[in-house]
Amino acid sequence: MNVALNVSGIALVTLATVLIGVYGLRISRTTGDFFVASRTVRPVWNASAISGEYLSAGTFLGLSGLVLLEGARGFWFPIGYAAGYLLVLVFVAAPLRRSGAYTIPDFVEARLESARARRVTSLAVLIIGWLYIVPQLHGAGITLVVVAGLPQWAGEVAIAVLIAGAVAAGGMRAITYVQAFQYWLKLFALLVPLFCIVFALTGGSHDVDVATIFPADAGPAGFDAYQTASLMLALLLGTMGLPHVLVRFYTSPTGVSARRTTVLVIVMVSAFYAVSSGMGLVARITAPDLAAPAAADTVALVLPSRIFPGLFGELLTALVAAGAFAAFLATSAGLIVSLAGVVSQDVFSGSVRSFRLSAVLCTAVPLVVALFTIPAGLGSSVGMVFVFAASTLSPIVLLGVWWRRLTARGAVAGMVTGGVACALSLVVHTAVGGVGQAAPFLAQPAAWTIPLAMAVTVIVSRTDAVGPPTRTDRYLARLHTPERA
Amino acid sequence: MNQHPARRVRVSAGPAAASGQAPTRGIALPGAPAQDADAVYVRALMRSQLRLALGAVAGFVVVTGMLTLIIALIPAIDEVVVVGLPLTWILHAFAFYPVIIFFALLYARGAARNERAFRALRDRG
Repeated sequence: MNVALNVSGIALVTLATVLIGVYGLRISRTTGDFFVASRTVRPVWNASAISGEYLSAGTFLGLSGLVLLEGARGFWFPIGYAAGYLLVLVFVAAPLRRSGAYTIPDFVEARLESARARRVTSLAVLIIGWLYIVPQLHGAGITLVVVAGLPQWAGEVAIAVLIAGAVAAGGMRAITYVQAFQYWLKLFALLVPLFCIVFALTGGSHDVDVATIFPADAGPAGFDAYQTASLMLALLLGTMGLPHVLVRFYTSPTGVSARRTTVLVIVMVSAFYAVSSGMGLVARITAPDLAAPAAADTVALVLPSRIFPGLFGELLTALVAAGAFAAFLATSAGLIVSLAGVVSQDVFSGSVRSFRLSAVLCTAVPLVVALFTIPAGLGSSVGMVFVFAASTLSPIVLLGVWWRRLTARGAVAGMVTGGVACALSLVVHTAVGGVGQAAPFLAQPAAWTIPLAMAVTVIVSRTDAVGPPTRTDRYLARLHTPERA
Repeated sequence: MNQHPARRVRVSAGPAAASGQAPTRGIALPGAPAQDADAVYVRALMRSQLRLALGAVAGFVVVTGMLTLIIALIPAIDEVVVVGLPLTWILHAFAFYPVIIFFALLYARGAARNERAFRALRDRG
């Protein structure tokens, strides 16, 4: 490991982030600019930014670690993340763009005309956002431990300060360009090392014992039907419930362009996941000794210098470290933009100054949590966030767009039921480690918490004496009517 | 001044409102659901978009499920080794993304077509 090279790689990414942020600052002046980039971002830029924001530590480092550790089961995660955007595309992309709201709580309030439903939604958004930022900070800590020999907390604090500063300074316009840049950086930071390693492997005389490196019981055939189905349901539906995913569609100029953007996003994240999965396959061949819970997440960082001793390997490692940092920066920044948007409108006055203050507050909370918890597997901790989002926000967003009889009471009941059921089963699972027959249902609760939340929402809405707001039809018409060309 | 003023009585609508009939007999109230041609077209558009969305998701689930079963249950594929990797692992790692992209494109085209049809209907009417 060449510490100087690695640190300069990370410093370059940071510098580029700050520079693009400052460049963005000069063109973002109004409150609208700060929140949603005034809805004038082009589809390609927007798609790069959405992809850049979506590809987090969980996939950049976590995916190859997961494939190394658990085998083909790890491939389900990126497939679910990519397919989650298919559901975003078909169900919510264009309608949410046309809703004219800034954040999910804005949408819920406008659709259901209820301040109470809005507050519950905001709370869910905050919890999901914070849960999602913690693994990003952990990832940053792990990276700095491996590439620069710094203690775990140093990376966590460094990235938190950086993001809070960037978001407070630039708002979303700056963040859009930062993230578009970071998508391409992340793609090449894995693609180039993968290409070099594959080239070296095919050239050299590497004896691959297929049966031991790719054993059948860790392979595609050895999957558990319930666990896989439940995980996939959570990943598919969870994407539309993530606060930083939906806020992005508000930056598309029209519903049609929001759809075009989403198709591009699916192509872009799929390309990245294919590369990342390839890295996992290569890791199984070249680094089986790293297949331990803590070490597996570092495999993408360690691999290049193993294959190429000397300067070339060190340069590749620095590139991967820079890409990993881009991953933490992009995802956390996107999350903090949307969280700060929610907090500044719900708690403060919604002005630019309160947005800045909220950005700092929203970074401080997950930082404290990250400092006092020990990093678990990055891939699976991000998976848990999807389960929670899919059980709370996704049913409400989905029904809000498509079902005219949804009421505020039904939405609140559904969100609370889904959230509590999900949190309880995860807490019991972590504390007890499973209770006999119920163990798999507690470890992967999505398959029953999502239908439960949906059912409660529908039943409470239908029996609600108040009924849906009188303007529902008009609002739904607005969501689904195409803009005049 | 009367020492015992008549008690105030709450005046409310009669049984007509309870039976769901609009008290204005066809005159639209502000905020009342609009039942003009546009609203009918929008409902039709919503239905066709929802049908298209559910169809795309169902198609995706069926194809993905089939691909999963093929990879998991046909042992002959597991024997095939391509460039040092078992074919099942390669398929699992890379084969699902083209399926996702295919259904995304299919939906986007269908949704744009539905909206064109809606526009044509609205502009003619």
